[in-house]
Amino acid sequence: MIDYGTTLKVLIIADVNFVMVGGYAAVAHGAEIVVHQCLELCYERTPENVKRLATALAPYHPQRRDALEAISFVLDDRALLQGMNFKLQTDLGDIDLIGQLPGLGEFREVARDSLAVNFHGVSIRVASLDAIIRSKRASGRGKDLNALPELEALKQLRDSGKK
Amino acid sequence: MKSSERDRLFELVANPPPGSKIEAAKKYGVDLTVNVRRLLLTPTERVREIEAALRFAEDLQTAMDQMSK
Repeated sequence: MIDYGTTLKVLIIADVNFVMVGGYAAVAHGAEIVVHQCLELCYERTPENVKRLATALAPYHPQRRDALEAISFVLDDRALLQGMNFKLQTDLGDIDLIGQLPGLGEFREVARDSLAVNFHGVSIRVASLDAIIRSKRASGRGKDLNALPELEALKQLRDSGKK
Repeated sequence: MKSSERDRLFELVANPPPGSKIEAAKKYGVDLTVNVRRLLLTPTERVREIEAALRFAEDLQTAMDQMSK
């Protein structure tokens, strides 16, 4: 069953460094809610952090969504450091772990352009609207490019409200 | 859906036939691995997922709203 609120709390309690990006980050900024999407997290690729991340997710049976069932997969620090982006299916829902985002870079760059949000008593980092726009533009995929008019309009509305 | 059927669908998503609708959707940016996983659910389970996702999205927007106040 999807429980992304618990996912975030579990990661924060485990002291995992990540930034929420992608569709739900856009939703946080006011974009239209699209329910058929994964929780996308840009994670810090240091040995200590990937170990904490793998340990925190282990009780929720992470498996790759994009692999055949017969291929056994163990999400551990070694697997995380050998790969970059992971499409996971867990007991808490679908989670995409992203090591590097187009147009933005890795965790450090993404975190620099993010904001802290108090979510049910825990502080999570959410990519800024500007960062989401840059990333979607840089990806060049039709789906991301089609999301730009709404996000850019949101940005203009937000900026107009500040004046 | 049997395990072999699931694997056949994943194989299709991983290596779509050239010129197929699956290939086009993948190039467009649709994450078809999510669709395949959802095909394994019952309609009731799909609705529950949608409800849970909606609750999360609303909680997120509430958290952002409170931050800007």
